Amino acid sequence: MPEPLLMKYVGRPGRDAVDEYVRTGGYEAAARALKELTPDDLVAMVEASGLRGRGGAGFPTGRKWRLTPKREGDVRYLVVNADEGEPGTFKDRTLIEGDPHQILEGVLIASYANRVHRAFIYVRGEMFLGYERLRRALEGAYARGFFGRNILGTGFDLDVTLHRGAGSYECGEETALLESLEGRRGEPRVKPPYYPAVKGLYGRPTVLNNAETLAHIPHIVRLGADGYKAYGPPILYSVSGHVTRPGVKELPIGTSLREIIFEHAGGLRPGRTFKAVFPGGSSAAILTAEHLDTPADFDSLAKLGSMLGSSAIIVMDDTTCIPAVIRRTVEFYRDESCGKCTPCREGTIWLSQILDRILDGHGRMTDLELMDGIAQQMTGLCLCALGESVPPALRASLTYFRDEYLHHIRAGSCDVVRAPVAAGGASG
Amino acid sequence: MSGRVLSDATLGEIARLRDAYPQAQSALLPALHAAQDQVGYLSPEAIADVAQALGLAETEVTSVASYYSMFFLTPVGRHKIRVCTNLSCYLNGAEEVLRRLCERLGVSPGETTADGRVLLEAVECLGACEEAPVVLADATRHARVTAAGADDLLRELR
Amino acid sequence: MSSAPPLTTVRLTIDGREIVVPKGTTVYTAAARAGIDIPTFCYHDRMEPLGACRVCLVEIEKMPKLVTSCTQEAGDGMVVHTASDKAKAGQRAILEFLLINHPLDCPICDKGGECPLQDNTLKFGPGQSRFVEVKRTFRKHLRMGPTLVLDRERCILCWRCVRFGEIIAGDDALQGFERGYRGQIATPQMAPVRSKFIGNTIEICPVGALTSATYRFRSRPWDNGAVASVCPHCGCGCATTLNVRGNDLDRTRARAHPEVNDVWLCDKGFFGYEFVQSPERLTSPLLRRDGVLGEATWAEAIERVAGALRAAAPQAVGVVGGARSTNEDNYLLLRLFRGIIGTNSVDFRVDTAHPAPGSAGCWGLPCSIAEVEAADTIVLLGCDLTEEYPIIWLRVKKAVDRGARLVILNPWELEIARWATHALTYRSGAEAALLEALAGRRDVAAAAAASEVPADRLREAADALAAAARPIILLGRTAVERPDVLPVIAAADALRAARPGAQVGLLRGRANSGGAQLLGLMPDMLPGYRAITDPEARAAVAAVWGRAVPEAPGRTVRGMLEAAREGALDLLYVVGADPATDYPDRRAWEEARRRLRTLVVHDLFLTETAAAADVVLPVLAYAEKSGTVGNIEGRVLRQDAAVRGPGSARSDGAIFAAIAERLGTELAYASWEDVSAEIARLIPGWGPDVRLAPPAFRAAAAGPAGAGPATARDGELLLVAGTRLYDRGTMALRCPGIRGQAGEPFVGLHPDDAARLGVTGGAMCEVRSPRAAIRLAARLLPGLHRGHAYVPRGYEAAPVSALLDEHGPVSVAMRPAGSPG
Ligand SMILES: Cc1cc2nc3c(=O)[nH]c(=O)nc-3n(C[C@H](O)[C@H](O)[C@H](O)COP(=O)(O)O)c2cc1C
Ligand code: SF4
Ligand code: FES
Repeated sequence: MPEPLLMKYVGRPGRDAVDEYVRTGGYEAAARALKELTPDDLVAMVEASGLRGRGGAGFPTGRKWRLTPKREGDVRYLVVNADEGEPGTFKDRTLIEGDPHQILEGVLIASYANRVHRAFIYVRGEMFLGYERLRRALEGAYARGFFGRNILGTGFDLDVTLHRGAGSYECGEETALLESLEGRRGEPRVKPPYYPAVKGLYGRPTVLNNAETLAHIPHIVRLGADGYKAYGPPILYSVSGHVTRPGVKELPIGTSLREIIFEHAGGLRPGRTFKAVFPGGSSAAILTAEHLDTPADFDSLAKLGSMLGSSAIIVMDDTTCIPAVIRRTVEFYRDESCGKCTPCREGTIWLSQILDRILDGHGRMTDLELMDGIAQQMTGLCLCALGESVPPALRASLTYFRDEYLHHIRAGSCDVVRAPVAAGGASG
Repeated sequence: MSGRVLSDATLGEIARLRDAYPQAQSALLPALHAAQDQVGYLSPEAIADVAQALGLAETEVTSVASYYSMFFLTPVGRHKIRVCTNLSCYLNGAEEVLRRLCERLGVSPGETTADGRVLLEAVECLGACEEAPVVLADATRHARVTAAGADDLLRELR
Repeated sequence: MSSAPPLTTVRLTIDGREIVVPKGTTVYTAAARAGIDIPTFCYHDRMEPLGACRVCLVEIEKMPKLVTSCTQEAGDGMVVHTASDKAKAGQRAILEFLLINHPLDCPICDKGGECPLQDNTLKFGPGQSRFVEVKRTFRKHLRMGPTLVLDRERCILCWRCVRFGEIIAGDDALQGFERGYRGQIATPQMAPVRSKFIGNTIEICPVGALTSATYRFRSRPWDNGAVASVCPHCGCGCATTLNVRGNDLDRTRARAHPEVNDVWLCDKGFFGYEFVQSPERLTSPLLRRDGVLGEATWAEAIERVAGALRAAAPQAVGVVGGARSTNEDNYLLLRLFRGIIGTNSVDFRVDTAHPAPGSAGCWGLPCSIAEVEAADTIVLLGCDLTEEYPIIWLRVKKAVDRGARLVILNPWELEIARWATHALTYRSGAEAALLEALAGRRDVAAAAAASEVPADRLREAADALAAAARPIILLGRTAVERPDVLPVIAAADALRAARPGAQVGLLRGRANSGGAQLLGLMPDMLPGYRAITDPEARAAVAAVWGRAVPEAPGRTVRGMLEAAREGALDLLYVVGADPATDYPDRRAWEEARRRLRTLVVHDLFLTETAAAADVVLPVLAYAEKSGTVGNIEGRVLRQDAAVRGPGSARSDGAIFAAIAERLGTELAYASWEDVSAEIARLIPGWGPDVRLAPPAFRAAAAGPAGAGPATARDGELLLVAGTRLYDRGTMALRCPGIRGQAGEPFVGLHPDDAARLGVTGGAMCEVRSPRAAIRLAARLLPGLHRGHAYVPRGYEAAPVSALLDEHGPVSVAMRPAGSPG
């Protein structure tokens, strides 16, 4: 297995200091990009690298950049999505806390490639430590001339503003993020016409990328598209739940779920058996033991009706009550729904009411069809992907774990042996 | 009734924020953070000051503030304990931690202690699932918190 | 590759029908044009599509998902199905979702019968709901101020009302709070809405979440008769529909008029109709006998008036008012007084103390109300637009949204200041200097010194105007409502000359002032804005009337009052006006009244003036008579009688005809249409909905020069009177829906001045001018220019006119008053 690219220095102290980052070769890729490469070269290089967005939708980054209109004289913006909120996802936070300059260097290169002179980093409000580290890192990078006027003597100008969110998962959705950045409620805009690339921040063309996505950029420039691809290409899996060694695992994309869970994340606690997994955050359909050999990549998971999403792998062992987990996810979406569109606002509250009833022992046999119907009525009808994220896991659970629901309805209680879990039990 | 509540320092910070963005309204979230940090919550007077400073309607500022879970429109505890109860933490015993904190503080999630010192909240994924269960006490993240650990955490909160 | 010309139209198929629409049209609009019905809730055609409610789903071939037709642009070759199984399932799903939390209280809901949710559910919705859970509940029926009732349970969160406040009115009155399923429409702390346009949200709410406090439970829509009318308030002449049941006036709604109010109304228009059926209406003539007013028959009253007219010399007769009458009423007024009596002393401008004929300029908007939208720079000088002509603000707002610059110069900060590119306060009296600076005819530094506006900011404003291609400069009442108005008019005239293409207007007048001006209810004018001194105009009138019209201009209102004081005016005839309250010098009025031999008043109510009259004649209100009125742009608008008047009240015109007859001349017309037809003979182009634009005003030669910027006496404040949309005038007081909006009368002053004078906010103080002293509660106004005392007009109990002086600006002394007693 090749050595890690993005995670190489994560865990070493003092990585938010610009000198430390420069000492290990930091900002060399940016210097090369600004001095030796044209913006078009860079777009071509990122396209050739095959990098796909790490925010969840997996859109090819190079294509996104190419699609952003670059008319001379137009104001364009770069916006970094560091609002990480998808349940189970913690790779952006890990990078931000562990090696923030990597992202900033990506911002610099991406801005140059997209002829942008103003960038914003939208940092999740609850990410106190990460914000502080980013702020320090940015300050240091400004002091060394990596940002501001006439960067590295190339004549290129770039200003970066850090912006704190204030508690809203929906603000991770790109158009809601822009609304929030403009000082409004984090409600999404309709696409079309508000594709950020064309009509983004303040109505201007805007390149919007996930934080991890940008952290890949310096490595692509440094290694070249092919050199970078030789690393897998690499991807960060956030593995958590009922595993003994949770954490961010940098691996070649397409590593199988089994390998990720049982080798890299240490497998399950002694005596436990595997029950189910969310392979891409709670917005992805859950999978079962029979799917463990699936490569964790965009296409393979999509074929199973699930998705790679933000590559957050949440593992559940046999102590897990699936209806209870589904209720928790539905509650999450219910509480985080912005409420702008009807199906998401009303569908989530309706589903959570039914799930409460079932788990309280008052379920009806017709509830399963009803829930499936509601989920179908949400699918494809919502304004943004938040509402669309509710049906997959729910419907998968109705398929794979129907018996658990039926038991709740018939017996009025849970049949899952909930072994007493020592709090913090997953470690060890 | 035009009692200004925001200090010169806070208003100065808001003016700086306003000028840091291409459009003044973009400074709203950071300005509300600044106002809340000073006052403790977003009182109608604080909202009025922010609205005035950014040239916005008070109704709109209140509406925006009410959208975000980190802004408080009524008084809350100075200290904020946020217990993640989303999937990874839930699977690793977050409910028990939350229950213990409720007992110790004598509140339900979302409430502030009778002495007005501590707000306890159940929150969504804090993006630190490898450390589940996670508790954020003010700006400090605590990893792998047990029920017993919750007691320690409260002691530290002085 | 050949470069095809860009498509300007697209051809698409909807439900099997080929439709060609301009590029940029949405699928929804394309379908609507073809008469194909797609349900909508959040979409409103005056606002950008939002795509929130998701009910307008349609199936488009080659697209993987259903799309919202309100946001989807129609594309060439698109094949759309609005009623395929898939599309119908989508629409049904959304309706089912909307209904799970909507109460089933249609039978007691005001919206029942005209509710889009009800209609759409019937047409597109599911047969029955599968929802068995507990519905979301909120506290029922919240009163959000005197006119608005909010029922959050019924709200379907379509965001129309919120977006109306953001996009159309710019007042952000209602907002969404919280989020997700907890989301609700409200105000902070459920405080009363602060808006002048909230009635519109009641109209556009697609459910019964927002209802009118005045109309609540009054009627079911199918019982309502609908009569086209015109709003009687500010002078914009917004088109309205009056809903009537039997002889009850139940509500006022907006009627679409693209050139005037589009589809909107202000709240005075919506809720200011109840005075019409107030129990305090006068129902029979009153005659003063032995010093006491008592009821009389019409015959007695007419005889008394005719007798007094016969006894007076023509030059000793004056007429004021007419702005509340129809054009046809006023035409008869002119025939009677100009033609039969032979006086030119007629003037509708009761609230103006301009000294000589011609010195007030011509009033009105220089372009149509709709054309304001097209301006690239709008200057408001002493013009409190939302208080005086709210509906024009909606056009200004649109211009601003399109990038127009808004320059506001006013002695106090206006509520719309946050929309302005330049919002500056100045010392009252400096209007001429400011106009000269804006015209580049005067050095900015000097104007800045006179006006107390920072020179650099004044220069920026002047530069903005200089750079404008299509500027509109509007002078409001504060700028021109002064005896020393001549220099202001002259400066405005000069500005127009200096900035070719600039439209300059004096925004003045209420109700039918525009029509009164058009008909020549002025001492120096004849119908059609023609000068009395114009022999041709006089001849034309004489030909139609069969009577000569005196040549010499008559007296203005101020002139009439002066003449009365000097014993040169015997009879004053007041038509639907209240000079005792509105003439800007109460003492001058009172002295004049004492010397008058006869005072005749037409009114709906026993106003201050009527109470002092010798003859009071009850007349019909706007909703009780048909005819035409003219608005601020000079547009002739038609209104129809909706209800019968009280008692024996008559139209003004009928009264004039009766008097004429008593004097021996029959003014015989079969109907108001006949009168209107005769007006058309004198005013070329006259007809319903024609705009006869007021001529560009000119600076009159006559009249005293201005006193220049007034300075307050030492330690005193300069008095400025402000117009308020909600006041406590005759009509507002009798409209329960809006009566409460005005609050108590007050005097506003800058906090610094208050501190200097030892006055605290809320405390009673005595405000003393050389004319009188009145007691008012102090209100601190940080937005008021220092050195001023602001007193609102229109409070009958504390008339600012008591403080005013018809000769010039007034300086007032203020001090805290002891406890009332
Ligand atoms: C409800 C919702 C939440 C999202 N949250 C995040 C997030 O926290 N971080 C993120 O980068 N992308 C998030 N996304 C995806 C973004 O909309 C967007 O696709 C992404 O930031 C684009 O960057 P990329 O192309 O680099 O992946 C979210 C999407 C949805 C629908
Ligand atoms: S109150 Fe009415 S208009 Fe406003 S969002 Fe609710 S339903 Fe729509
Ligand atoms: S009307 Fe189209 S989404 Fe609401």
